[in-house]
Amino acid sequence: MLSKQEAQKLAEKVMSFAKLPECRVFVTSSENVFIRFANNGITTSGYQVSHTVGIASTTEDKRSGNASVTELTDDALRRGVEQAEMLAKISKPSPEDMPPLGPQKYPEIANFDSGTAEARGENMIGHVKAIIDEARSRKLTAAGFVQRGASWTAVANKAGLFGYHPHTDASLSNTMRNSGGTSSGWATQVSTTIKDLNGAAAAKISADKCVRGENKQRLEPGKYTVILEPAAVSDLIGFISFFGRSAEQGQSWLSKKGGKPGETLLGEKVFPEYITLRSDPFNPKLTAAPWGPGLLPHEKVTWIENGVVKNLFYDRFWAQKAGKKPTAGSGSLVLEGQDHTLADLIKSADKAILVTRLWYMRILQPQTLQVTGTTRDGVFLVEKGEITQPLMNFRWNESPVRVLQNTKMLAQPVVTQGAETGASLAPALMATDFNFASISDAV
Amino acid sequence: MVHGDFHARISRRGFLAGAAGMLLADRLFGAPDTAATKPNPELEKLAAVALAEAKKQGASYCDIRINRYRDQFSGWRFSPQRGSNQTDEVPFVTDNQSFGFGVRVIAKGQWGFASSPEVNPTEIARITREAVGVAKANSGFQASPVKLAPVGKYIDRWATPHEKDPFAVSVEEKLDLLHGAATTIKKNPKVMTAFGFLGFHSEDKYFASSEGSSIQQYVIQVYPNLGAVAVDFQKGVSRSRSYQVAPQARGWEYVPIMNFGENAKRIADEVVEHLAAPPVTAGKKDLVLLPSHLCLTIHESIGHSTELDRALGYEANYAGTSFLTTDKMGKFRVGSELMNIFGDRTSELALSTVKYDDDGVKTTRFPIIEKGIFTHYQTIRDQAHLVGETESRGCCYADSWASVPFQRMPNVWLAPSDKPVTLDELIAGVDDGVLIEGTGSYSIDQQRYNFQFGGDAFWEIKGGKKGNMISRVAYQSRTPDFWQALDGVAGSAYWQQYGLPNDGKGEPMQTNAMSHGCAPSRFRQINVIVTD
Repeated sequence: MLSKQEAQKLAEKVMSFAKLPECRVFVTSSENVFIRFANNGITTSGYQVSHTVGIASTTEDKRSGNASVTELTDDALRRGVEQAEMLAKISKPSPEDMPPLGPQKYPEIANFDSGTAEARGENMIGHVKAIIDEARSRKLTAAGFVQRGASWTAVANKAGLFGYHPHTDASLSNTMRNSGGTSSGWATQVSTTIKDLNGAAAAKISADKCVRGENKQRLEPGKYTVILEPAAVSDLIGFISFFGRSAEQGQSWLSKKGGKPGETLLGEKVFPEYITLRSDPFNPKLTAAPWGPGLLPHEKVTWIENGVVKNLFYDRFWAQKAGKKPTAGSGSLVLEGQDHTLADLIKSADKAILVTRLWYMRILQPQTLQVTGTTRDGVFLVEKGEITQPLMNFRWNESPVRVLQNTKMLAQPVVTQGAETGASLAPALMATDFNFASISDAV
Repeated sequence: MVHGDFHARISRRGFLAGAAGMLLADRLFGAPDTAATKPNPELEKLAAVALAEAKKQGASYCDIRINRYRDQFSGWRFSPQRGSNQTDEVPFVTDNQSFGFGVRVIAKGQWGFASSPEVNPTEIARITREAVGVAKANSGFQASPVKLAPVGKYIDRWATPHEKDPFAVSVEEKLDLLHGAATTIKKNPKVMTAFGFLGFHSEDKYFASSEGSSIQQYVIQVYPNLGAVAVDFQKGVSRSRSYQVAPQARGWEYVPIMNFGENAKRIADEVVEHLAAPPVTAGKKDLVLLPSHLCLTIHESIGHSTELDRALGYEANYAGTSFLTTDKMGKFRVGSELMNIFGDRTSELALSTVKYDDDGVKTTRFPIIEKGIFTHYQTIRDQAHLVGETESRGCCYADSWASVPFQRMPNVWLAPSDKPVTLDELIAGVDDGVLIEGTGSYSIDQQRYNFQFGGDAFWEIKGGKKGNMISRVAYQSRTPDFWQALDGVAGSAYWQQYGLPNDGKGEPMQTNAMSHGCAPSRFRQINVIVTD
C-alpha cells in the first residue's frame, strides 16, 4: 500500500527536482492476485506488485514533455524529471496547453475495501473449486478467471494541487462448455469488493446456459427484436462517446447531419423518454477515481435525460473556446432501467432473440456509430413469452445509438462488465430491429 | 502460500528509498551492444538467487526474467481551431520506462508466478518464495501435472540487427520529420485533421532457468504512421486515410526509407478522393488484397486459429477456442493448394523475431499450413506433448516482467507464389472486384470462423482494370471458405511484411507484436457488404 503521507512525500520529492515552472506528478502503486483455470483445473496464477511515477513537465512557453519510471531511487526520480524536462524543452509550444490547476477539492469516493486489498489466493480458490465442482457434476468443462486488485493513486502539481485515492476491484468470470464442444455458457461478476463474488452462483448460470444451449438451431439472419442481457448492454453503451469536439467537427453521431460545422444534437430529443444515461463516479461498486483525466474533480454527468442529449464532454481547452463548463470525466456509466426483470422482458416478447454477451466489437462508421461484432455463449429464440430453442451465434452490424432509439423495455440495472468496455450499471433491455448480418459457426 | 506484510514492506522501501549511484537498469543492461556474446555477470548473479531459492523451496523448475522496457512516442496533431480555418499544431512527446522481474516456478507439478519492480537479491528471494507458495497452494486443483518439453542449455547474448539505436536519435529530429509530414498533409485545404506519429519500443530481456540457460537479448521495434481525416458536413460523413508504414524490428536506419514526404502528399489527396468516393455495391465479388491489408486477415483467421492453447481450451473464457481442433491436425483442408503458411520467429525485420523465446527455447521457422492442409500448431514447452510433439516451437512470450509467459503468436506469413506472378496479372483476372489496401475495422468470432474486415482504402476493379476509389466496403466470410477461394498469389518480388503491435490475449490480458508477410493475393466470390 501507499499511504497518503507517503504519496505526498514522494510527489514533493519529484517536484523538488523540477526546474521548469510546471510539473505534474502521477503516482500509482498496485497489487494484483489472480487465478486462471481451464479444462477443470488451475492453469496459471500469480501475484503482481507494481508502481509507476509519471511526470509531465511544461515550460513557460507551453512546451510539454512526459516521462514515467518504475525505479524509485532519488537518482531514478531525478532522471525521470530531467527526461520529461528535456523533452519539454525540445518540443514545440502547444496552442492547446492549459494553465495548471491550483488546489482542488476532490470528492471522497468509497470504493476501497481492505478485505479485498488483503485477499490472497486462499480467498479465491473456493470460488474456483465451486465452479469446477459444478462443471464436473454436470459433465461440463469450465474455464475462467478470478482476480482482485488494489491500487493507490496520487496526483500533484507545483501549483498546489494534490489528490490521493485508494480503490479495490474484484471480478470473476467463467465459461462452461459441453463435452462435444457444441454449447457454451458464460457468467460474470464484477465489484469493488471480493465479498460480492460468488463462484457457485456464477457457475450455475453458465452451466444452465450451456446445457440449455445444446442442439442449436439455425435462424436466418435479418432484423429481429432482441433481448440483450446486462453484459451485452454494458458493452454497447460503452461505445457511445459524448465528445463535444468531435461532435462539433462532424466526426460523431452527435454531429448534426446536413448541419454546419459546430452544430450538434445537444438539447435534442434523440431517444425515447425512458432512456437516461449518466456517469456516476460515486457509485461504490465502480472503480472511479475522484478526478478525471484532466484532474478536475469528478461530478455526476447526465448525458441523456429522458431521451434528450443533455451534455457533451468538453475538456478544459475546448470548453474555454466553446464557452462551456469543462467536464471532468465520462466513465462509470449508468443506464437507468424500468421496474421490470429480465423474465418480464422475455415474457412480454412475441418473437425475440435473447443474447448473453457480445464479442469483438469494432466501429464501422463514426457518424452512425455502426459497430460490428458477434454474439457469444448463449443465444436463444424467445417465442410468445417463452425461451423455445437455442440458436447458433450471429455476426451483427448495428449502432448502439439505434439500439437505444429502438428500445421498448428495460429491466433494473446491475453492475456488470462485458468483454470490450469497462464495468457499468446496465439493465437488460428489449429493442426492435437489431441487425443480425450473418450466422457464425462458432461455439 | 507465503503470507505477511509483504506489500507494505516493499512499497515503503521502494517509495522511500534514496540510494545514490547509476540507475540499476542502466547498469545491468548498458548500452545496446551487438558484438557482445555473453550476458552481464551481474544479471546472472541476481538470477542465481531465484534459482537457488526455488530449489530450496522444493520447486522442480524455475526461471527468472529481469527486463527493462522503454517506449518513446512523438508526434503531431494538426487540427482546426474552433470556429475558424486556422490550424492548431499540437505536439506530444513521451518516454516511458518499466523495469522489474518475474519468477516462474513449477512446484508439486503446478505453475506459480510472482513479480516485483524491486530488483535486488532480498526481493528476488522473497518473490521466488511467493511463486512457490502460489504453485503449492494451487496444486490440488490442476487438471494434470505440468510436463515440459526438453530444451537446450544456452549461454548467449543477442540483439535485433540494427545500425543506429533509435533512442539515441534526438527527439527534435523526430519532431521535425513529423512536423514536415503533417504540414504536407494539411496543405491540402480539404483535409481537416493530420497526424504524424513515430513510436519506438525496446525490450532489454534477461532470462535464466534452472535448466542452465542464461540469455540476454535486446529487441527494438519501430512504429511509424501518418493519418488524414476529411469531413463532408452536408452529407454527414468523414473519411480517413493512412500511410500505414510497416512497423519493423530494426533501427533508425529505417526512417529515411519510409519516404514520409511523398506519402504524406499522396494520403492527403486520397483522403479527399475517399470522401467523395461512391459506396461499393453489395454482393459476391473477387477481392485482390494487398499485403498491408491481408496481414490482418492472416493474423485473425490463421494466426489465432492455429494457437494450441486456444485449441486445447485454455483461452475458452476470454480469447476463445479454435475451429482447428487437435483431431484436424495433419488432415484438415483450410485453404487452396496455393496456401502455404509458416510460423517464424527468425525472419529478418519481423516484430516477433528473437533468438530465444520466454521459455528459453531457440526460435525456429515451422510450417503451419502446407498446400492448404493444416499441419502444425504454435506451441510452447508445456504444450508440445499434448499434440505428440517432442519440442516446443518457441512461441512463449510475456509482455512485461510482471506478466506470466504463455503461448503467443509468432510471425505468421503466407509464402509467395513460386512463379513470377504480378499484381497486374492478379487484377487482370478480375471482372468485378475490389482492391483493398491497409487495415480498417476487423472482427472475428471466438473460434475464428466468421469474420468481417474493412480496410483503409478501396478501389473498384472492373474488366480486369483498377478503377476509381470506392467507399464503405467490408467483406464477410468463414475462414475455410475464404482461404479455399484463394486462387492467385503474387510472386516473391511483391512479398512484404506488415506488423501488428497490440494483439490481446490472456487473463490478465497481455499484448503481443508480430509481423505477417504476404504477397498480394486474390480471393474469388467473397461476400462484400456496404457499411452504413
